[in-house]
Amino acid sequence: MITADLLTGLQSFLPQDQVIEGGKQSHPLGNSGQVTVFPKSEEEIASVLKYANDNGKTIYVEGAGTKKGFGGLTESADILLSLAEYKGIVEHVPGDMTLTVKAGTCFAELQDYLAQYKQKIALDPFVPESSTIGGIIASNESGPKRLGYGSARDAVIGLRIVYPDGKVIRAGGKVVKNVAGYDMNKLFIGSMGTLGVVSEVTIKLRPLPKYESLILLSFPEGNFEQIRAFAIKLLDSMMEPVSLELMSPSLSERLTGKTRYTLAIGFEDVENSVHYQEEFVRNIQPDNSELEILIKEHAQRFWDNFYSIAPYPAAHGGSKETNAVLKIGVINLDVLNVLKESQILGDSHNLLVEAHGGLGHGLCQVNLKGAGEDVVSAIHEVRDAITKLGGYVVVKHLPFALRKEVSVWGDKPAHFFMLEGIKTKVDPNRILNPKRFVGGI
Amino acid sequence: MAVKGIKSKDKHIINLANIIGDARSILYHTEDLIAYDCDGFTLHKHLPKAVVFPKNTQEVANLVKYCSENQLPFLARGAGTGLSGGAIPLNGEVIISLVKMKRLLSVDLENRRAVVEPGFVNLKLTNSIADKGYYYAPDPSSQYCCTIGGNVAENAGGAHCLKYGVTTNHILGLEVVMPNGEIVEIGTNGIPDAPGYDLLGLLTGSEGTLGIVTKITVRILKNPEAKQTVLAYFDRVEDGSQAVSDIISAGIVPAALEMMDKVAIEGVEAAAFPVGHPRDIEAVLLIEVDGIAAGLDEQINHILEVCKNRNVREVRAAKDEAERGRWWANRKTGFGAMGAISPDYLVQDGVIPRSKLPEVLNNINKISEEYGLRIANIFHAGDGNLHPLVLFDARKPGESDRALAAGSACLQVCADVGGTITGEHGVGIEKREEMRFVFSDEEINAQTDIREVFNPHNLLNAGKLFPMPGRCVEIKRDLKEKEAAIS
Amino acid sequence: MSVKEVDLKQDPACTTGLSNYLWSDHPDENKWADCVHCGMCLESCPTYEITGQEQHSPRGRVHLIKSVAEGKLAVNEQFMDPVFACLDCRACTTACPADVDVGGLIEEARGQIRQAMPLTGWKGTVSKVVLKGLFPHQNRLNSVGSLLRFYQKSGMQKVVRKTKLINIMPQHLVDMEAIMPEVKEPVRKKYKNENVIKAKGDTKAEVSFLTGCVMDVMFSDINEATINVLTRNGNDVTIPKNQTCCGALHVHAGDRETGRKLAKQNIEAFKDSDKIIVNAAGCGCMLKEYGELFREVDTEWHEKAEEFAAKVEDISKYLHDTGYEKPKAELNTRITYHDACHLAHGQGVRQEPRDLLLNIPGVEMVHMPNSDRCCGSAGIYNITNPEMASEVLENKMQNVPEDVEMISMGNPGCMLQMAMGVQKQGRNQKVVHTVQLLDWAYQKEDGKKEGH
Repeated sequence: MITADLLTGLQSFLPQDQVIEGGKQSHPLGNSGQVTVFPKSEEEIASVLKYANDNGKTIYVEGAGTKKGFGGLTESADILLSLAEYKGIVEHVPGDMTLTVKAGTCFAELQDYLAQYKQKIALDPFVPESSTIGGIIASNESGPKRLGYGSARDAVIGLRIVYPDGKVIRAGGKVVKNVAGYDMNKLFIGSMGTLGVVSEVTIKLRPLPKYESLILLSFPEGNFEQIRAFAIKLLDSMMEPVSLELMSPSLSERLTGKTRYTLAIGFEDVENSVHYQEEFVRNIQPDNSELEILIKEHAQRFWDNFYSIAPYPAAHGGSKETNAVLKIGVINLDVLNVLKESQILGDSHNLLVEAHGGLGHGLCQVNLKGAGEDVVSAIHEVRDAITKLGGYVVVKHLPFALRKEVSVWGDKPAHFFMLEGIKTKVDPNRILNPKRFVGGI
Repeated sequence: MAVKGIKSKDKHIINLANIIGDARSILYHTEDLIAYDCDGFTLHKHLPKAVVFPKNTQEVANLVKYCSENQLPFLARGAGTGLSGGAIPLNGEVIISLVKMKRLLSVDLENRRAVVEPGFVNLKLTNSIADKGYYYAPDPSSQYCCTIGGNVAENAGGAHCLKYGVTTNHILGLEVVMPNGEIVEIGTNGIPDAPGYDLLGLLTGSEGTLGIVTKITVRILKNPEAKQTVLAYFDRVEDGSQAVSDIISAGIVPAALEMMDKVAIEGVEAAAFPVGHPRDIEAVLLIEVDGIAAGLDEQINHILEVCKNRNVREVRAAKDEAERGRWWANRKTGFGAMGAISPDYLVQDGVIPRSKLPEVLNNINKISEEYGLRIANIFHAGDGNLHPLVLFDARKPGESDRALAAGSACLQVCADVGGTITGEHGVGIEKREEMRFVFSDEEINAQTDIREVFNPHNLLNAGKLFPMPGRCVEIKRDLKEKEAAIS
Repeated sequence: MSVKEVDLKQDPACTTGLSNYLWSDHPDENKWADCVHCGMCLESCPTYEITGQEQHSPRGRVHLIKSVAEGKLAVNEQFMDPVFACLDCRACTTACPADVDVGGLIEEARGQIRQAMPLTGWKGTVSKVVLKGLFPHQNRLNSVGSLLRFYQKSGMQKVVRKTKLINIMPQHLVDMEAIMPEVKEPVRKKYKNENVIKAKGDTKAEVSFLTGCVMDVMFSDINEATINVLTRNGNDVTIPKNQTCCGALHVHAGDRETGRKLAKQNIEAFKDSDKIIVNAAGCGCMLKEYGELFREVDTEWHEKAEEFAAKVEDISKYLHDTGYEKPKAELNTRITYHDACHLAHGQGVRQEPRDLLLNIPGVEMVHMPNSDRCCGSAGIYNITNPEMASEVLENKMQNVPEDVEMISMGNPGCMLQMAMGVQKQGRNQKVVHTVQLLDWAYQKEDGKKEGH
């Protein structure tokens, strides 16, 4: 009944083929809708939000749905707002090195397009071939090359956001430096769509590197002190790696065939400079470590594989095993402890654990695979350990049924009242992505 | 216990003095306060009620709490070098000066971070870690004396933010006293992406309207292996600005790409740090590339080629670090140097898409003619951040107003080509009304809504950043009516 | 500074009518018009470093001085405080992108204050007795010198120290007493019968020497060394008889009238000289700025004052520029160098004295961070503002390397203050004048020659 009303209501201002009844309610990852809408314009997005706001309906927002397992404590909202049909480049000025694009545009397609101009978006999210730019921004996705290029908060210079009441707000602008008013962009990056629907993104671009290589430095003995000492030496040098990502033996095995702790050290610059830095690494290479250099397409192929390791919805087949992905933040060099901890965790909980983390920025990703209850208890355990290190654990991916058993975002921070205050101000009726964010926001 | 030596009968002064427990840490005589009636922006002046100098976070919190409970407007101030009037006590605020909180609390080179108090001077951080080969990247021209707390408030930029980003890209954590006196920590331990909305990003650049920062965790960087600095002289401004565009489009990311025009050159050469720029050229570019030494020659050659294609008259590379230092001193003291050719100046801070540089400089020239005021241009050309310096003499009747109008016209030009009104100096008092050039009422309200969450009674640094809303007019009218009713 | 838009600045000020500067010779509007309030001076200022307060910063002081001219402030106690707390170290002038002459403004403002509010109490006494009654009168100074000599030689010093008589003196005078240099016979007394002290060897040039008032009494050995070094390098040295105190201390203190009187006397005394050599940075700086004193008052002296100023040279710069014989004997000592404010900031002399020192064989120079930071001596500042002076000194001493045997500099005021710092910290370092080191090296060289 209710669904029928919804359908009628939405179809009163959206073409019929853009409003689809439910269908996916039983998705194991949750975050579905009674009705799915596919707006094709900003006005349509605005009218859906206004409709929901006026009628007390809840909305989940998604791009390609790659983050369906990320947060959210209800199986289904009234409306699933898909931005899959709201895509395309709005403006690209090669000379200004800026790009404005609609939120539903696929990330990999953007990079392919920009490559013609020898430019790129300096972000390296997982599953780029399906992820949309809007989803990447809303969930603040980043990868190993964050060390060299920063994250979404460093790249985004402007946003258009549709507010819950349907008004459209611009944040930032089209220039690379801007301090006019509050830096509202930051509020929406990583807000999991709980404040507004990002409809358009303006990003500053970087030139494609003239040359690139990747050093895989593996440590057969798995001596953490040795890895640590090497990392410190490299970080204290004047070399400029774009990544310094430590991979667990299990992950390394999948990507390089070697079951060893392996550092993925990327260099991107003019060729002379890259070779010079390779040489530097060779010179400080620890005893008993093995070094392999992948150049150009070979390096790119490695990264392509790397970005597809995560168990995202598309890969969620009939497997009985539960997949979980954790994002763990610690003080840079504590990444070593996280990897050590997750190794122990895998053994004690009978899980397959693949972990990696950046020694230059402190962010790790730990993928767990095994029985549901083992995964849940492992998450609890790892969170205890990480809290002691002063870090945090966010569960980036977990089936809906289990999300209730762990706290996706961890405990409320002491300053939660401010987050709550912002949410209440912007989305007083709490129609957008309810309970999908920290502390039930 | 009451503090001795307070010669005021004002109960607030006495109470504030008691909170900081030291008569020398509070100023309340007009003669002392007058030194606080403005910051680096001198066109508006107003006396504060008092200036207090807390020594630690708890004292800041206690002062804020007192002000908040007693409805006393208040604001935070660092070195007072801001160029948009963000620290001017428009409403007779109690100024909480953070210059006594100036310690470097810790440095962790391995994890590339340092923790400082807000009154710590920007350049001192780099100086403290330079011997280990590290530095703090944001380098506003005032870095010799501006505080990192102030940098956070204004989201300060600098010559080298073309490659390395502005302050917000280097802040990992903050301890903040909220307008109600509560102390909160965000970005715990300086770990990125802490769960929750990005309050670090929101607070940085909020011009002291959302909270008072009392501790800052910043990212520090390893020095680049090598730097090369080049001066390029052009006979035509168009050629200079085209060269800027070409360098960027060629896929080079210089560490800095600065430009000065003829009037600016006249100023810096007449002032304290002249370097002997030819006086008959129209534009000079100061270009710096840094990174791995082995890769720099290729970039420099590319830059030289670009400049030659744009009819450069002369290109010079810095011989040594000393010469490089002189060039930068000449550039970085550029604003103050205008004092040597003009009694007053007004600096604007518009940003434009880089490709619009020739067009915009041309229009600024027209504004100069139209208003009959000389305008010098010293700017971060690489990221399109213009600094038109409107030269005037405040002693000549009407000239200040004309300068303000000319400055505003420059910003309109920037906004018209899709740019913005401020790239690093902030809105403050100066550009409140110009906010309307780039934001609709709804967009401005969306921002003041956020302010209300943090600063509900608007006691903290009121009257900054946003245009005077219609509402204010209504309030004033209400007040007048009330007054009328009473009398 | 070369190019200025003079026409812009000579417009009549619209503020004059409101000005609260009621006496002539008021602060020069063109000086503050250069200040754009950018704040680049803040960190260079020792009193701002200590207080963190704007009114104790160069920019703040300029702002206050300007506010009086605009009629917003009166010349009163509260205005006096920041203006007199200035060390007049001129570090801000070096830091200022627009070359604002803060020091000049401060001195002019002090002149106004002193006329509005003549000194009373203990500071007044010091001013009257020391500045007016003593410094301009060489014979009285000499008597004090003799007394001091008597005090030191007779054993009185020991008695005072032993009997705890010292305990009843104010603390900062106790500190001063402890480091009082050994007083010798002044050169003006010694050479009073010689018109020209002839160069050793061929005469290359003739110079006049300003012996300084206190300098000659308290530090006559430095004057002696200066004469030795000059004559050794082919200079005939004259010591004009009618010369007097340079007036720096009076002008710093706001007594510009006395300053002018002394200036006139010196201008007359040296009117036949081509080159005037000074070994005290404070005096040198003052002499070079005589023109400022006659900008508004007694303007007929202005040109003469400027001509006089052009002839003044610090000993280190003179030796460096005209060439001197590099000593051959080794001194074998580790030293550090302190830039006297009135040498570095006031006269821009930084490298020359360092070169003199480095050219002495066996001298190892240890870098002093912030070497051009004021030591807190600042004329009689350490007597009038003892608390601030001692904090400034403490900050200074933190930068003075511990592992040196000597601290060299070019100003007697600094020498007393630094000696106090050394004493307070219980260090064992000798405070010397640059020219002394050079003289010792010559002496050692000559001693060797004679030995052979």
